[in-house]
Amino acid sequence: MTLAGVSAIAGACLIALGGMAAFGRARNRGLDIQIAGVCFLALAGLIVFWSGPAVGADFRSGIDPALGLDPLSGFYLVVLCVVAAPALLFARASLPESGRSAPLIALTAAFVLSMAALVAARDVSTFLVAWELMTLTPAAAMLVWRQDEDVRGAVIFYVGITHVAAVGVWVAMLTLSAEGVLGGEPLGPGGLRTLVLVSALVGFLTKAGIAPFHVWLPRAHPVAPSHISALMSGVMIMLGVYGLSRVLFLWVEDVPSWVGVSLVGLGSLSALVGVLYALVQRELKRLLAFSSIEHAGIVVLGIGAAVLLDAVGQPRWAAIAFAGALLQILNHAAFKGALFLGAGAIGEAAGTLRLDRMGGLLHRMPLTGGAFAIAAFAIAGLPLLNGFVSEWISLQALLRLPVGDSGWFSLVGALGAATLAATAGLAALCFIGVAGVSLLGRPRTSGASEAAEPGGAVAAAIAFLASLCLALALLAGVLVPRLSELGPGFWPGGPSPDLNLPDTGSLPTPALLLALALLAGLVAVVRGSRRAAPAPVWISGQPDEPQLAWTLAGFTKPLRLMADGVLRTRRESTTVSPAGIVESLRFRGDVPHLFDTHLFAPLLWFAARGSKLARRLQSGSLRAYLGYLMALLLFLLLILRLDLLS
Amino acid sequence: MTGQTIVSGGIQLAGAALAPLAIGAVQWLKARMQGRRGASMLQPYREMRRLWTRSRVRPDGASVVYEAAVPLSVASTFLALLLLPIGSVSPDWGFGNDAIVLFGLLAIGRFALAAAAWDTGSGFELMGAARDLTLAVFVEALFLVVLALLAFPAHSTDLIAMSASAAGGEAWREPAQWAAAVGLGLVILAEAGRRPIDNPDTHLELTMVHEGPTIEFAGRDLALLHWTAAARTWVVLVLAAGVLVPHPGGFAVQLLWLPGWLTAFVILLAVIEATQPKMRLLRVPLLLYGGAVIAMLGLIGRLLGAAV
Repeated sequence: MTLAGVSAIAGACLIALGGMAAFGRARNRGLDIQIAGVCFLALAGLIVFWSGPAVGADFRSGIDPALGLDPLSGFYLVVLCVVAAPALLFARASLPESGRSAPLIALTAAFVLSMAALVAARDVSTFLVAWELMTLTPAAAMLVWRQDEDVRGAVIFYVGITHVAAVGVWVAMLTLSAEGVLGGEPLGPGGLRTLVLVSALVGFLTKAGIAPFHVWLPRAHPVAPSHISALMSGVMIMLGVYGLSRVLFLWVEDVPSWVGVSLVGLGSLSALVGVLYALVQRELKRLLAFSSIEHAGIVVLGIGAAVLLDAVGQPRWAAIAFAGALLQILNHAAFKGALFLGAGAIGEAAGTLRLDRMGGLLHRMPLTGGAFAIAAFAIAGLPLLNGFVSEWISLQALLRLPVGDSGWFSLVGALGAATLAATAGLAALCFIGVAGVSLLGRPRTSGASEAAEPGGAVAAAIAFLASLCLALALLAGVLVPRLSELGPGFWPGGPSPDLNLPDTGSLPTPALLLALALLAGLVAVVRGSRRAAPAPVWISGQPDEPQLAWTLAGFTKPLRLMADGVLRTRRESTTVSPAGIVESLRFRGDVPHLFDTHLFAPLLWFAARGSKLARRLQSGSLRAYLGYLMALLLFLLLILRLDLLS
Repeated sequence: MTGQTIVSGGIQLAGAALAPLAIGAVQWLKARMQGRRGASMLQPYREMRRLWTRSRVRPDGASVVYEAAVPLSVASTFLALLLLPIGSVSPDWGFGNDAIVLFGLLAIGRFALAAAAWDTGSGFELMGAARDLTLAVFVEALFLVVLALLAFPAHSTDLIAMSASAAGGEAWREPAQWAAAVGLGLVILAEAGRRPIDNPDTHLELTMVHEGPTIEFAGRDLALLHWTAAARTWVVLVLAAGVLVPHPGGFAVQLLWLPGWLTAFVILLAVIEATQPKMRLLRVPLLLYGGAVIAMLGLIGRLLGAAV
């Protein structure tokens, strides 16, 4: 047994133990044990990812449970641990010290374990059990955490949609297993391959929150406790991409190019839809949920580029595109984890998650606020931070289609690249706004002006993830060559700090960041330390009042006007003016989620009508059921009599 | 390091000093075309010298984000200068020469000033920053489509390779290159903040785009921001001279093409500036969409050409 295997087993056992220990007297002890377990899992994942070889069983087609890790599983295990360790640390500091939080802690352990089991599953039964558990445990956690109507509605929606979609996963996985593909040769062309591909696309992409299957996501993520939200958004949805990339690059032979085109299309749609609706949210966690849809879209764009580049015979760039998508997953885990945990801390400190009621929090909570700001800038794609690096790789990969002359797929690549660039621009607008309205400027409410820095553990958890954003930007050049070995194609590039991709001008983040810091320091010195004159901000000579402070709605107004044809904002204003004198003005405006109103509302209507009809059949009366049995018997006899079957 | 790289590196650095001259030349020419005498071409330098002697301002409640904004935007724009190909050569500074990274560096200044706008909480500053970031959404998308066309001859987004394959000017025989020229022209107008997208002369709070975020800065900060604006214009003009237009010949001959094309671009900018009014803000995306559609048509044209 290798070190990695021992470490993985020890980690899993410790997490399970920690989950059970939560019911004992020392609640924090349970979380401590879980954190230790996550560290062991991370070690196992790192060893297997970085240096191989695979440990445990290989994929097999039977239904006997089997577990094992190969480098791709190891990578996802690292992603899981990167979010899980700070999330547990956050939970330790923020959950109330009462018996009420014990079930939540146990469910957290179960959630982490189910995700670890999914990436370690080596047969179809383990995979599907872990898949279902991974869906159900966060739902249970939400219900344990809060018991109001909102949560119940969100959980029903979440469980309903992900389960309908799970049919796709079941069909794909069971077919692959039945065909003996999991442990053997990949599935060749034919009708069966099309069935597997279509059902895998629907099933896995729904879990990943890809539009138009994303409607569960903005409902479920905001109502979960913050550390569960971080895990769901940073890891769980990306495990949909894990399943999909296994199917595409391991179990199916010669992925047809229509899959690549659909992936690029769906990825573009999700990226744009996610970020556009994120822009119009007023509540921080709901905004972050929409941004997860955007990032899942960016990852799927990268996977689609990998499929297409492989299909047109550019194996080097197929490998790089896949590496870019994986790097995006890791980056997303780092900054989205930091942002969800930061949202939890900020919501606790300021007493609200409404963005327009915050303000000036950087002064009140410099450590948490600073880390939140770095994560927000990273997710906004601030050049030279990690979000920019992975988006740069994906942009280059998509550009390779038109630049490398791949026939009509050139158009797909150019459109995908343009969409990704627009998405990056929108994310910049969105997250500069988020950081600005919450952290900078002056407090807008008394809650925000009295916010205080949370405990050291909370700040440390968020700061760890924020510093990871910087570290990943510096290490990209080392990581990408290793990541490119895990998917399709082949790129013989060795690790170098310069991220020197073929036929690009390279992105040497360490050198650029160092030069930027030195030059900016130089400018600051040249500018001199002469005292700057304090002055009020210019607002046309009016007195500066908090009501005049800008809101996120004001900041995004130009864009909302330009995109009004897509967003269809509803505005409603009433003037109360008895006797011709205006007494008050009332304005209401909101942006309906068009996927809800136009796509899912009709579907729900049909589902409700259908179940109403079905309920009429289930009258509960014994006579009626005897009648059904009689009818069925007669029907079968009739078939037999008329010899319809032959 | 050969002589060529030393010369090209020297010209890259000289850009830092020459950039305000390009702005001054546009303003001077524009004034002439409008029948005014106009200020001297050296006026931007004089303004910067005057501002350099003035005290900076610290708006109430501003934090380190405000303090860092100007150094960051100056430093990132300066780095962008070092990525430019000069005569299809660039010394190996260790920063690479990627086209997308170049635009990323220009975006850092936008980020820094928008964050500073939130830091001061100034409504006018935020108004400008919001518009700037909003237009950047469309400009970045347009730039990527244009890049898909411009990078095709070299099969690379490396600016040196792109510059080398653009040198001969063979690409202009394809309609794709003309479409790319239209698109890149719009990108240049937007990045440089010129009419019809933005009016660099306006100082009315409600109409500014690029000037807006600078409103709370004074003294040396403002001087440095003026330099940044000039350097951005310089970067996009030298970029166009390097990767879009033909500049055949050896290294020395290519060096002579550069001032020639820059002069032509300055004249072109002045003509556009003198004849075009500023557009309504909400119409700018339509203009940029138009550019993107033309660029996409160029791409389709190339594909059709390859198909027959």
